[in-house]
Amino acid sequence: MFFHIVLERNMQLDPRYFSNNLRENLVTQLMEDVNKGICSSQHGVVVAITGIENIGKGLIVNGTRFASFPVRYQCVVCRPFKGEILEAVVTMVNKMGFFAEAGPVQIFVSNHLIPDDMEFQCGDMPIYTTSDGLIKIQIDSEVRLKIIGTQVDRTQIFCVGTIKDDFLGVINHPASV
Amino acid sequence: MLRGEDEDASELKIGEDFLKAKCLMNSEVAILLEHRYDQMKQMSGDSTPLPQVFEKSLQYVKCFSRFTNQGSVKQVRDRYQLAEFELAVIGNLCPETVEEAKAIVPSLKTKGRGHDDEAVERLLNDLLMIKKFE
Repeated sequence: MFFHIVLERNMQLDPRYFSNNLRENLVTQLMEDVNKGICSSQHGVVVAITGIENIGKGLIVNGTRFASFPVRYQCVVCRPFKGEILEAVVTMVNKMGFFAEAGPVQIFVSNHLIPDDMEFQCGDMPIYTTSDGLIKIQIDSEVRLKIIGTQVDRTQIFCVGTIKDDFLGVINHPASV
Repeated sequence: MLRGEDEDASELKIGEDFLKAKCLMNSEVAILLEHRYDQMKQMSGDSTPLPQVFEKSLQYVKCFSRFTNQGSVKQVRDRYQLAEFELAVIGNLCPETVEEAKAIVPSLKTKGRGHDDEAVERLLNDLLMIKKFE
């Protein structure tokens, strides 16, 4: 789920950037950090900064030449929650299950959490399919799934999901019927 | 701070920070990110590659957007006293029946919130009207 929230981050700046452009340099460095990926288990992954609220006073960090500035900024974050139901695009299918992506979030659905009436078929295009072939899960399929667990590392969020509950599974768009 | 084991979106346990925060539907995120994309293109030109997180998010929200008229959807939220998170989930997934809506947003079923089947049906009909006429 996407949220618009205010976050605070301590940015360390080298004295060579202490000039009239100090504020711009801080903002540029913040943007670069976001581009590399700012991720936390509490707030999720920062997708884009929408504004800078406040830049506090800089304090010299003991033992170094850097100064640390607290920067408050507004941003769009992507934060999946356990129990949340969302739609995702399948990116890989194998006999253990399938991987899907919902924006910057990767989700794995194990074959144990795929309905029993769907079976794995390997081949040129590995798929999960019902015996009558009416419902198929393959690369680029859109599925609705429920998140049952999340794991966050420094730059990415990884989730585990299920499609074994009611109203979950492949999405049938009216256009494709 | 909400601990990992305590969080559960189906019971609306998503932590104070996020309950009070502005929850965005995919359509709203699409507008924001498109605007930001135009700004970034203006500043650094077409040659600079977009950050991966940004590009994946933009692609995703454009693909899974259901509404273009955000103002009316917000009115529906105020009328039915839904949490922002609940409205965003319903707005993103567009359930067609009351049963489906209660399955994807289980927190609607919580006793004492006044969301009986009729109220949920009216909400879904309102959203359907908005989608039809936008």
